[in-house]
Amino acid sequence: MHNVVIVGGGPAGLSAALAAAAAGAPVLLIDSNSRLGGQYWRNSVDELENQNEQHFDLATGLLLINAVKARKEIEVWSEAQIWSATNDEGKNTLRVIHQGKEKIVNTANLILCTGAYDRTLPFPGWDIPGVMTPGGVQSLLKGHGVLAGKQVVVAGTGPFLLPVAAGVIKAGGEVVSLIEANKSRRWVSSFIVILENLSKIKEAFYYIKTISRGKVRAQFGYAVIAAHAADNGELESVDIAKINRNFKVKKVKNIKCDVAAIGWGFTADTSLAGSLGCKQVVAKDESVVVWVDSEQQTNIPGVFAAGEITGIGGSDLSMAEGVIAGIAAAKFVGCKVDISKAHRKRRAKRQRFANALIKAYPIKTGWQLWPNDQTTICRCEEVSLGDLKFSVEELGATDSRTAKLFTRCGMGLCQGRICGRSVVDLVAKELNVLPTDIDRISAVNRPIITPIPLGVLAQGE
Amino acid sequence: MSQSEIQFTFDDKTISALSGQSVGAALLAANQRSLRKTRFNKDKRGIFCGIGVCFDCLVVVDGITNQRACIIEAKPGMKVQTQDGSNA
Ligand SMILES: Cc1cc2nc3c(=O)[nH]c(=O)nc-3n(C[C@H](O)[C@H](O)[C@H](O)COP(=O)(O)OP(=O)(O)OC[C@H]3O[C@@H](n4cnc5c(N)ncnc54)[C@H](O)[C@@H]3O)c2cc1C
Ligand code: FES
Repeated sequence: MHNVVIVGGGPAGLSAALAAAAAGAPVLLIDSNSRLGGQYWRNSVDELENQNEQHFDLATGLLLINAVKARKEIEVWSEAQIWSATNDEGKNTLRVIHQGKEKIVNTANLILCTGAYDRTLPFPGWDIPGVMTPGGVQSLLKGHGVLAGKQVVVAGTGPFLLPVAAGVIKAGGEVVSLIEANKSRRWVSSFIVILENLSKIKEAFYYIKTISRGKVRAQFGYAVIAAHAADNGELESVDIAKINRNFKVKKVKNIKCDVAAIGWGFTADTSLAGSLGCKQVVAKDESVVVWVDSEQQTNIPGVFAAGEITGIGGSDLSMAEGVIAGIAAAKFVGCKVDISKAHRKRRAKRQRFANALIKAYPIKTGWQLWPNDQTTICRCEEVSLGDLKFSVEELGATDSRTAKLFTRCGMGLCQGRICGRSVVDLVAKELNVLPTDIDRISAVNRPIITPIPLGVLAQGE
Repeated sequence: MSQSEIQFTFDDKTISALSGQSVGAALLAANQRSLRKTRFNKDKRGIFCGIGVCFDCLVVVDGITNQRACIIEAKPGMKVQTQDGSNA
């Protein structure tokens, strides 16, 4: 019998597992990837050790992964995808597809560490093969040893663009342009935050060194606003625009590339928490996150959450939260432990850094003018901006939920993970209103966590 | 670490992959950027998110539709095909 069940084997989940086990609680760690490490410590088909070149903070990852594997109190299920979850009067039931079979896990004690994925914004041509997310380019490189293209444009906003550009250069690719939409280096002015988080600054310089060795021109205050396909239907070039502070287009030029990696920060994957009925709130960056108290406990007693799903903040903050969640969950099942002041201080320090980053890399509403009526918004169901406008103007949709029902926007296989956030903004713009928290939270409501192939269920235990 | 190389087919082409590599990564390494055609507009699509979130990299694997190329591991002798339309 496992006392604590943890979902997610990234920085948060690994830290939580070790903390709970160290406090004396037996742990079951469930993760859908084939190898532990989550999105950050993504290891290649090569041994993780051989990936030193690609990775800044690899030592920490190896340390955690090996420690988790070595602890007898921790059982790990890799390639285990939770596809459905319910909470019934304190009892959580997880339905897991583990190595092709369905298993059911019942537990009163759960730590959710399901992480995040790249946030994307729609623009004309963003569905052409060759347009990707920075995370996608990174995972192909780190996880599979494949460079996505020879001439790569890296664009969007946020510090994550740096490791991706550096990775492409190290692997022998050319970064034809590194484009950051925001100009502000506002966080530089908050001196204390920087002093507190010097290791992060060291990391940034490590990437910048690599990037400048690759003679890349970094441009601030620019964005990719359109992509163009060659006759074969694949990416040939992108339009890069100088933009103002609100992301409104000023001047456009075209550049050739075979891959454009474009990302706008991250979106938390709260689907599992949502299915259980955990309270969700809208964070400062307008992403929907799981609400937790100071001990990382959600509104459901015994259900904890840590890492990106409680707010986008990077791997260091995820680890600090994971440790606290692990201790709190162990305490919940009766282990004699407590969260120390040092733990709380570390989390607070990293939270301040995360807050500074969110302030420095905002996403302004000017992007809503980049798509035109023909631009695909929902990639799965092929719904265009024109279709969405029609649902508002002609069919009388009064919010994003009704627009979704009229158009099937966000009702395809990805269940709105890619377009959901943008649809809320675009429909509100059409209606001339501001999106409400209810609009944003209902856009992440997914009854099934992930679609599973028919037939698997028949083989269940 | 030495890695064994395996082979699978994509439509009528033979594709090499390192063991452990995903179908999508191996196809991209072979410069195969388009993986499916959409249902309505018949637009080409390929790897977008790369981590199993977007469902844009759908291919048919050994006759089963809607497989995400970016996360399914390449296995020797696998028969992978372009997915044309249907993704229900
Ligand atoms: C593609 C990608 C690359 C990134 N690279 C970097 C980087 O280089 N540097 C950096 O600082 N940050 C990077 N990030 C940001 C990153 O999200 C955080 O820094 C860090 O990984 C967050 O840790 P976490 O533990 O919260 O979640 P994650 O690391 O995202 O781990 C979540 C884990 O939960 C699993 N999971 C989710 N849902 C389920 C389910 N239903 N059933 C079973 N398992 C599930 C996932 O497979 C995953 O392994 C990246 C993010 C992405 C999406
Ligand atoms: S590329 Fe997004 S699911 Fe495969």
